[in-house]
Amino acid sequence: MTTTLARPRQAATRPAPRAPRGRTTLYWIAKHALAIALAVMFLGPLVFIALTALMSDQQALTSQLWPKTWNWGNFAEIFETAPLLTWIRNTLIYSILATVFMLVSSIPVAYALARFRFRGRKLAFLLVVTTMMLPPQVVAVPIYLIWARFHLTGTLWPLILPMLLGDAFSIFLLRQFLVTIPREYSDAARVDGCGEFRTLIRVIVPMARPAIAAVALFQFFYCWNDYYGPLMYAGTDLDNWTLSLGLAAFRSVHRVQWNLTMAATILAMAPVIVVFFFAQKVFIEGVKLTGVK
Amino acid sequence: MKRLLAISAAAGLTLLTACTAGTENAAPKIEKSGATHEPVTIEFWHGFSADNELKAFEDTLAGFKQKYPWITVKPTKAVQDTQILSSVRGGSPPDVALSFTTDSVAQFCKAGIFQDLNPYLKASGIDAAALFPKVIAEYTQYDGKRCVLPMLADTYGLYYNKKLMKGEQPPKTLSELADLTKKLTVRNADGTIKVAGFVPTSQMYENAPIHSGVMVGAKWTNPDGTSAIGSDPQWKKLMTWQKDLTDWFGYDKLEKFRKGFGDEWSAENPFNQGKVAMAIDGEWRNAMLAADAPDVDYGTAPMPVADDQPQRYGAGFITGTIIGIPRGAKHPEAAWDLVRYLTTDTGALVGLANAIRNVPSTLPALQSPDLKKDANFQTFLDIFANPNSTTQPAHINAVFNQQTLQEAQIKWESGRAPDLDALLGQVDKTINDKLKLTAG
Amino acid sequence: MASTALGRRGRTAPPSPVGGRRRANLRALLYLSPWLVGFAVFFLYPLGSTVYFSFQRYNMFTLEPVGLLNYRYFLQDEAAWTAIRNTLWLVVVMVPLRVLFGLGVAQLITKIKAGAGVFRTIFYLPSLVPLVAGTLGFVFLLNPATGPLQTILSAVGLDSPDWFGDPAWSKWGLTMLAMWSVGDLMVIFMAALLDVPKQLYEAASIDGAGAWQQFVSITLPVIRPVLMFAAVTGVIQTLQYFTQAEVVARAASGATDSAGSVFTPGYPDQSTLTFPQWLFQQGFRDFAMGYACVLALVLFVVSMLFTAVLLRQFRGFAEEEA
Repeated sequence: MTTTLARPRQAATRPAPRAPRGRTTLYWIAKHALAIALAVMFLGPLVFIALTALMSDQQALTSQLWPKTWNWGNFAEIFETAPLLTWIRNTLIYSILATVFMLVSSIPVAYALARFRFRGRKLAFLLVVTTMMLPPQVVAVPIYLIWARFHLTGTLWPLILPMLLGDAFSIFLLRQFLVTIPREYSDAARVDGCGEFRTLIRVIVPMARPAIAAVALFQFFYCWNDYYGPLMYAGTDLDNWTLSLGLAAFRSVHRVQWNLTMAATILAMAPVIVVFFFAQKVFIEGVKLTGVK
Repeated sequence: MKRLLAISAAAGLTLLTACTAGTENAAPKIEKSGATHEPVTIEFWHGFSADNELKAFEDTLAGFKQKYPWITVKPTKAVQDTQILSSVRGGSPPDVALSFTTDSVAQFCKAGIFQDLNPYLKASGIDAAALFPKVIAEYTQYDGKRCVLPMLADTYGLYYNKKLMKGEQPPKTLSELADLTKKLTVRNADGTIKVAGFVPTSQMYENAPIHSGVMVGAKWTNPDGTSAIGSDPQWKKLMTWQKDLTDWFGYDKLEKFRKGFGDEWSAENPFNQGKVAMAIDGEWRNAMLAADAPDVDYGTAPMPVADDQPQRYGAGFITGTIIGIPRGAKHPEAAWDLVRYLTTDTGALVGLANAIRNVPSTLPALQSPDLKKDANFQTFLDIFANPNSTTQPAHINAVFNQQTLQEAQIKWESGRAPDLDALLGQVDKTINDKLKLTAG
Repeated sequence: MASTALGRRGRTAPPSPVGGRRRANLRALLYLSPWLVGFAVFFLYPLGSTVYFSFQRYNMFTLEPVGLLNYRYFLQDEAAWTAIRNTLWLVVVMVPLRVLFGLGVAQLITKIKAGAGVFRTIFYLPSLVPLVAGTLGFVFLLNPATGPLQTILSAVGLDSPDWFGDPAWSKWGLTMLAMWSVGDLMVIFMAALLDVPKQLYEAASIDGAGAWQQFVSITLPVIRPVLMFAAVTGVIQTLQYFTQAEVVARAASGATDSAGSVFTPGYPDQSTLTFPQWLFQQGFRDFAMGYACVLALVLFVVSMLFTAVLLRQFRGFAEEEA
């Protein structure tokens, strides 16, 4: 991975002209203009979604861009046309329970993979990575049959309970972080008479807080956004739906319009965006953790 | 976690061995009236979810409670076929289940998901042939089993906006419909459509082939279950007609127009809004127009028919809500009492039909003086009674077959598949292959 | 920011005390047990049953051995092959475009001085938008009749295609959606770009190398592993591509869930039908579960191939510490 300028550049024979001052300014302007143009492209959709969410029913069916009247009532209306509160509650139950269960089960696994020496350790980690990469659809049929057998299809439990048995992606990320914690810390704790488990709880978990926070956030938002899982298991009773599922069906089932659909869309985005502004650093560090070095 | 472990282990053992859950119920014991009854609670799953429908349905169940005070009904709303299927699979089905579509009837009967109701009918001394219109048998029976009974029916006809019709009478043939469409269509200055006489594409709300095929009397399947779509010239006739009219508009223009429509079930429905002069729709549109667009002056008529089949005018598409007793129901006797009440009691059917403007599904209820009718609703009662009206016969792949034809239709009307014969041949092959996969 | 946590590595463990190996193994087993159980219940057992069911005709009620029927049907199932072609299209077009775009945006941000933080936040934001919400938004934005894009384009005299209504454009629409939410890749690339030693650029600049030359001869080789990683994980994610395609087809076709109107995934003309969608449709809408298992095995084999590539390329992934 070490790179050098392997061959001497022919250009070296040519004296390198320092860019004239005017060109640097131009370059500066070009860069920032490009960034602004991109920012408009990235923000544009969000702005138009917000504007449409505030239009009247009739205007949302026209091609006008700017609301003639500001219908803040749309946000109240979506709560009347659809059981949004139920969906939000279900989504929260799913996201929170799944996240807590995942943490409880995955931290010890990640710790063992990062720290313990045992037979089959390499294989175990390989299998974690493999299951992480596996599309969930591959084993969907038999797993569905298991849950159907216990009458849990039509609920969100088939999505929550498996989190008690660890989540490959989270295990992977946590392990990647835990291997970077110098051993001296845990050794010191052991010298102080801490057992392995106490060491994990007292020393390792506090040190791994950034990674744990990132993994928890990822899990939470994965569940918050999840569509495939609830589509498969939540069944057709609206009382068991999540926000994603309800949102996707908003246009067809609930006799509503683009403006209300966009209002609901904003509602689904809002918590994510709010949390992001408070936890930006955690997110970005977490994303970097997913990359390789 | 321990429990989960035990569950998973048990799953492993039982899954591969026990593949049919529940047991076939023994012949029903229908008690004579006057016998004493133990109080019993039955579970009832149904698909109603709209508020006005739920309210009407609750009233009907209250009527049941009066007649059968010892039976308590515990209803669950907004249930669909897939849920019924998995509950029976899991061995904990409801006692009574209701479905809005007849698409799964073949599956329900073939795999024994619902019990055959013929023994019940016999034990109760009900002559189904005398009670239900003949067409209903086609979507409530399969393989000689009558595993569901009808509770209200739907029929499809043509709605027309009197103001936009400019004094014209509703069309009786496809040529008339095409001519009138051209006459009534209004365009904006930039060439886009302002008002369409009729939107001919299959993607328009209720124009799915299952409804429009009746206009030409087209057949879906042969008696052996294989596809008749490629070999029945009527489909070709219908699709050529649709394509010609679509091309007259220009497919892109029509699509752009269609994509500016509001939701079908909302007040922004283009017919309610006066954006289309004529539309195919079900009898329930009467109730929705009354609620959402009381100012629209409209009329109803049967759908137009092919030019060479004038004798078929008056026919339409019929389907309905169905109800039955799943295999493994815990209280089949009480369940039958409820099914019998909801499907044969004239008072119950008429009350519900009046509330949600559906067509009642028994002959006595159709003739009941209490049935609210006006000219616009009468059209649908006549369509229901018309001997040429057809339904989608129960088929093991009913949904798949509809999807396949509908996809082909979209390809054709958009001009993306120019060879109609080849396209319909492909439809035949797809449907027949699938039949082999699912039924052998 | 420049050095990620992964850069630091712990030191080797002290050798286990003699005789403690057995106990160490047991202890590891204890810690790993939740995952081991999960692996058995939610992977090994289902994989075995998937193979078993692939030889059966199974609709959740009757189980009937049919030999290779499901496999033969797969070979002639046009829709399955269309789905494979579509998934392949996304792998070949969408993944590289997304990687290139992500790299470009990251490169731009690292070069910018004024307001880099603000830009970074703005560029990252869309990737947080819930998939269903973002997809619905795009269907609306690109709607030919009511969408803002059409309005803007027609203001300058252009006509927007019917993005999600025309099979020639629908996958491009999905690609635009994917590019919009490029934020996660951008962050990974930014970290990699900032890790490129500054001295290399300085040396090159003294040698008179232009910006492009510097990029090709310095930046690219250094960040190549990260690019590869992004590409391979992108492929694996794309093999699971489901939600956006399903929501687009549902919203753009205007399908209602009422009786008589059937929803067909892949609208228009199966142009957005992906392989996982077809699997889902077969298994959980048509209840052709035996056949769905055949499709599942195909997906399994293909994704394992790509996982193998990933693991080969990045041995460091499963590397022992130190």
